[in-house]
This record gives sequence, structure tokens and C-alpha cells, in this order.
Amino acid sequence: MADENIIMGHAEDNDGIEEYDNSLPDWWLALFFACIIWGGIYAVMYHGYQQTSQEKLYLAEVAAAEEQWGGAAEVDLAAVEITPELIAAGEPIFTQNCVACHAADLTGGVGPNLVDEEWIHGGEYADIVKTVTDGVPAKGMLTWGPILGDEKVRQVSAYVYSKSHQAN
Amino acid sequence: MSSNQPVVYDDAIVKKFLGATLLWGVVGMLVGVILALQLAWWPANGDIPYITFGRLRPLHTNAVIFAFAGNAVFTAIYWSMQRLLKVRMWSDGLSNFHFWGWQAIIVSAAVTLPLGLTQAKEYAELIWPIDIAIAVVWVAFAINFFGTIHIRKIKHLYVAIWFYMSFVLTVPILHIVNNLSVPATLTRSYPIYTGMTDALVQWWYGHNAVAFFLTTPFLGLMYYFLPKAAERPVYSYRLSIIHFWALVCLYIWAGPHHLLYSALPDWAQTAGMVFSVMLIAPSWGGMLNGLLTLRGAWDRVRQDPILKFYVVGVSFYGMSTFEGPMMSIRAVNGLAHYTNWVVGHVHSGALGWNGMMTFGMIYWLVPRLWGRKMAKESWVGLHFWLATVGIIFYIIAMWAAGVTEGLMLRAIDPDSGLLLYTNFLDVVHTLDPFYWMRFGGGLMFLTGILMMFVNVFLTVRGSGEPFSAPAAAVPAAK
Ligand code: HEC
Ligand code: HEM
Ligand code: HEM
Repeated sequence: MADENIIMGHAEDNDGIEEYDNSLPDWWLALFFACIIWGGIYAVMYHGYQQTSQEKLYLAEVAAAEEQWGGAAEVDLAAVEITPELIAAGEPIFTQNCVACHAADLTGGVGPNLVDEEWIHGGEYADIVKTVTDGVPAKGMLTWGPILGDEKVRQVSAYVYSKSHQAN
Repeated sequence: MSSNQPVVYDDAIVKKFLGATLLWGVVGMLVGVILALQLAWWPANGDIPYITFGRLRPLHTNAVIFAFAGNAVFTAIYWSMQRLLKVRMWSDGLSNFHFWGWQAIIVSAAVTLPLGLTQAKEYAELIWPIDIAIAVVWVAFAINFFGTIHIRKIKHLYVAIWFYMSFVLTVPILHIVNNLSVPATLTRSYPIYTGMTDALVQWWYGHNAVAFFLTTPFLGLMYYFLPKAAERPVYSYRLSIIHFWALVCLYIWAGPHHLLYSALPDWAQTAGMVFSVMLIAPSWGGMLNGLLTLRGAWDRVRQDPILKFYVVGVSFYGMSTFEGPMMSIRAVNGLAHYTNWVVGHVHSGALGWNGMMTFGMIYWLVPRLWGRKMAKESWVGLHFWLATVGIIFYIIAMWAAGVTEGLMLRAIDPDSGLLLYTNFLDVVHTLDPFYWMRFGGGLMFLTGILMMFVNVFLTVRGSGEPFSAPAAAVPAAK
């Protein structure tokens, strides 16, 4: 509809501000209705037709990732040989990710000392791999497994293990 | 309806609020620039606990929202409602109580936040004794506001007054409900809500603080000061009524868009999302009525910096109210949330809309309040350009930073299926150039408001040619 620019005659009442009696722009009304209709359709699709939910979508993504990348063979940690190569590979990983809390000499800070006699979660190689993989989220120790991947976890754990056992 | 006795308006209160707007604007934005510097270069925190990022950030948000934007809308309300209703404020005592009470609250915020005293709820950080003071001062203001409406000489309520009313009524409800808590000591309290309920109430509050503190009163400001400055009739009366009701009815539901992909039940997230998308048109109704009112005054826009401030302000309003609904869509929010994109969105609204509209209003009001033209008229245009370019720097930097970090945080190594960027610090350092760019933009914006501060100071002190408002302020019809 074309703007007719008819004056309302409110100026007296509006401290001199006049108003036109133009109708709502058609495209504006169309936009308004389109958004409302879209909102209705979206809600029905998401909850009604697809019967989906945040949890279902999450599980589907996990399943897809498992399909693509999962299935790595279990490694028998007791049988892992802690070679100098493994330790050397672990050092830069430690420097990059762990020194902020455990210090460059592993004597601790936010996180505990890793080169003393005391272990909260056990000091055997398999224990360390497990602590690093699962983390202790409640205490501020991250769950490194999904971040570093199994291989890097084994490497960095070998580094920690070697340092602590060489200190003792 | 108007009586024959001339009404003497209370302009002293308008002057006070205007001065406070300027002062807190400078303080709040200076703190913003310091924060921007700290994010680019952390030693800027000086190793002083009181000015570390975590303590200054809430000081910034409280100062710019409640002190700068708050005092700006109070300035607008005290000037325009007296003139629209052709009556002096109902009670000068309450007006002054409102002014001094509000400033005292701001000062107490500026003391407690650097000391680390906080409720840890965003935009509701202030501790419980200050919350009570806010409620008391607001009730005094509301009594004065509705008292003035009650004794008005003009029956018809102009649309600006409707927008102000939604502000005066809704803000105390949001404030009180979100701050309900059990005090433990003078400085500490525990909210009565727990877990997800607490989060939902918090973001119902948070989003509607945007809606009813940074949006509706500024639309009221626009509906009064823009046609005044343009001397043009408002484009459409019908549109103003319809977008008002659509806006206030829809806004209240949109809070959950801050909690997408959280433990909030799915249906509530969907509600927040669809109501946000429905908000595009009602928001654009305000932008249209602003821009189309300037139709036929474009030749003046080219010359008058005040109108330029309004054009840019209203355009940024339109931009951020399109961006916001897009960011409310689940998939988009998954990328934008936890990134600087949100910070960019915030400041396109805050600097572009709230800042520019306030600046335009102040440059229009000062000559009328003090009867003198601006002491440095050429600075007004300069301020406009500094502010506009500053905003553009700020927003482009934050968009680029937001998308970059959003993509980096989700990037996966296709061979191993593991995250590509495992060290968060790597992501942070990638953003360094953008943080510096934002600092530059912020510095320009701050320089602009400092120039305005000096300009107003000089004008008030007495430099500047005499100014007399055009007698017939009635806009030319057609
Ligand atoms: C954000 C700080 C932080 C970072 C980074 C961090 N840790 Fe920890 N770490 C901790 C905390 C805190 C604990 C103590 C957990 C507890 O008390 O149960 C801990 C505990 C440990 C333990 C168990 C110690 C014990 O006594 O049983 C090991 C092993 C360990 N971390 C290794 C690592 C490795 C390897 C990295 C790097 C990949 C790392 N941490 C990174 C904070 C951190
Ligand atoms: C010179 C101008 C300004 C600068 C340089 C600036 C800078 C900043 C910075 C650095 C942050 C912290 C961002 C982060 O945590 O990553 C911030 C947050 C914020 N600022 Fe500003 N600011 C300015 C003006 C304003 C104004 C005028 C307003 C409001 C009217 C405002 C409202 C906010 C809000 C609401 C936040 C919190 C954003 C969020 O939680 O997402 N700012 N600002
Ligand atoms: C229709 C209009 C709008 C909608 C639907 C909207 C939507 C959103 C969304 C989705 C977010 C991000 C939430 C997150 O992921 O954390 C957000 C953040 C924010 N918006 Fe808007 N927005 C709108 C308009 C505005 C305007 C005009 C302003 C300012 C004047 C503004 C100020 C803010 C602030 C301050 C935040 C940051 C909240 C925080 O601290 O996290 N919004 N908005």
C-alpha cells in the first residue's frame, strides 16, 4: 500500500510532534507472519515430527564418531615398555599442557607434586595413564583422554613415570 | 485541554541527569578500554587485585548500563515527559531523591565491585544491601513517574510515554525476582533458586534487562528526540502501537536463548529460540519508524551531525536485532556462544544504538538547557566520525575473532578424531591481533565521548553563541 501521509492531528497533544496515519508496510507484515509461522513449524518439526532432543542428537554424534574413529585395540598397559623414545615423546606434551599446574620440574603448584613419594591415585604406570585419561574433574585435573588421545597420554604418562621413578 | 497558566518545567533535574550521563559515560568507557587492553596485553592489570579483569569487568558493565545508559534515559524521561504531558514532575523532592539515590548506588557499585564483593550473577552482581537500595529508589521514581501521568494536562499519551512505562514497570519486577536471596552476612547472600532454575531466572532477567533497560526506553527516547530534531512527522502511528505491543509481549519469552545446549529442558530452549526469531519484525518496526521519519529530511541529515547520530544509531539497532535472532538459532549459537561474537553483538547494540542515540540527544538538549550553542560546534561532527569508525573497528574485530575461535574450538583432526587445538592458550593467542584492533576502536569511541564531555563543559561554563530554540517546533506537515 502506498504511503498516504495523512496527518493524525496529534501535534497539539505531542509537544508538537506530528504523526502520519500510514499503514503497516506490507513487507513488514509479511516478515512478521513469516517468522511466526516459521517458529510454529520449527517447534512442531523438532519436538513432534522428528521427536528429537539435545540428548538424542548428542548420542547420535557420539555414535557417528565411534563409527569413524572408534575401535582402536585395547592396549595392555602392563605390557607397555617404557622406552626412552616414549619418554622423549612425552616431554614436549608435558611442557605444553601440564607445567601450568604441575610445574616444569613436576614439583607441583595448582596440582600436586608428581615426583614425591605420595600418590593420590597410584604411582604405577597404569595408574598414571588412568588418572591422566579420566582426569579428576572435581579437583581441577582435566580429562585428558579425549583431548590428547590414547597415544599421547601414554607418552606423557611415561614421562611422568620416568621422572618420578628416577627421583626416587 | 491545556490550561492558560504557563507551566514551569523542572529543567534543573534534567541538567543533573545529563551531567551524570556524561561523567559515568567517560568513566565506564575508560574502564572498557582498560579491559580491552588487558585482554590484548595482560600485564595491563598491573598485578593489582582491585583492577584485575574479573573485578573490572562487572564494574564496566554496571557503569555503562546502569550509570551511563540509565542516566541517559532518565535525562530523556525528565525532559520529554514534562513537555509531552504539559506538567511539571509530580514531586521535585522525589525527582531529587531519585537522582541522588541513583548516583549513590553507582558509587557503592564502584567501591564494592573492585573489592571483589559480588553475587556472581551477570548484570546483577551488586550485593544485597545495594539491591534493596535500588528497589527503594526505583519505587520512588515510579511513584513520581505515575504521579506525573496522573496529574497530566494532556489526556493522550504519546508513544514515547508507553515505552517509558514499560521500562518503569518491568525493571523493578525483573530486579526483585532475580535478586531474591537469603542474606548470610552484610556482604554475602544465597539465592533462593538453585541450579537450572537459578540459571533460567538469571537469563530471564538478563535478556529482559537488554529489552527493558537498553531497548524500550531508548525507543521512547527515539520517538521523542528524533522527530524533534528532524522536524518531521513520525512515519506511522499504527506501526508504533503495533510494534510496541508485539515487542513487549514477545521479549519476555526470549531469555532461554542464553541457555541453548545447556541442561535447560529442550522445550524451553525451543521457546526461547522461536520467540527470538519472531522478534525481528517488531524490532524492525522501531527502526522503520525511525528511518522513515527522516524521509524527506535527508538533505538535512547530510549537514546536521545530530541527525547523523540518529541514522547510525537506528541502523545499528536494526542490525543488532537481526543478528540477535540469528544467534538464537540453535546451530548458529553453537558456534557463537563462548566466543567474542557475543561481545561484538553486545557492543553493536550498546555503542551503536545506546551510545549514538544518547549522543544525539545530548547535543540537541545542551543548547536548549543552557541557551547556548555548543562551544565547539565542529567537534560534534568529529565526534560522530570517531564514534562511527570506532564501532566499526570494534565489531569487525569481534566478528572475526568470534568466528575464528568458534571454528578453532570445534576443529577436529580428521585422522584421529581428536580436537585439533588442545591448548586453549593457542586459541587465545590467535586472537591477539583482533584484541588490539578492538582496543583501537574502543580508544576512538572513548576519545569521542571525551570530546563531548569537554565540549559540554565549555558550553555550560559560558563559551558558545546564544541559542534560542525555533519558536514553532511544530514539524512542517508534508
Ligand atoms: C588445571 C590444572 C592441571 C593441569 C593443566 C594438569 N593437572 Fe594433573 N592434576 C591437577 C590436580 C588439581 C590434581 C590433583 C587431583 C586430586 O587431588 O585428586 C592433579 C593430579 C594429577 C596426577 C595424579 C597425582 C597423584 O598424586 O595421584 C597426575 C599423574 C597428573 N595430574 C598428571 C597430569 C598431566 C600428565 C598433565 C598434562 C597432560 C596434567 N596433570 C595437567 C591439576 C592439573
Ligand atoms: C569505549 C567503549 C567500550 C569498550 C572499549 C568496551 C570494552 C569492553 C570489553 C573489553 C568487555 C569484556 C569482553 C570480554 O569479556 O571478552 C566488555 C564487556 C561488556 N560491555 Fe563494553 N565497552 C565499551 C562500551 C560499552 C557500552 C557503552 C556498553 C553499554 C551500554 C557496554 C556494555 C558491555 C556489556 C553488556 C559487556 C558484557 C558482554 C558479555 O557478557 O557478553 N560496553 N566491554
Ligand atoms: C531481537 C533482539 C535480540 C535478540 C533476539 C538477541 C539475542 C541474543 C543472543 C542469542 C545472545 C547470545 C547469547 C549467548 O550465546 O550467550 C545475545 C547476547 C547479548 N545481547 Fe542480544 N539480542 C537482541 C538484541 C540486543 C540488543 C539491541 C542489545 C543491546 C542494546 C543486546 C544486548 C545483548 C547482551 C548485553 C548480550 C550478552 C549477554 C551475556 O552477557 O552473555 N541484544 N543476544
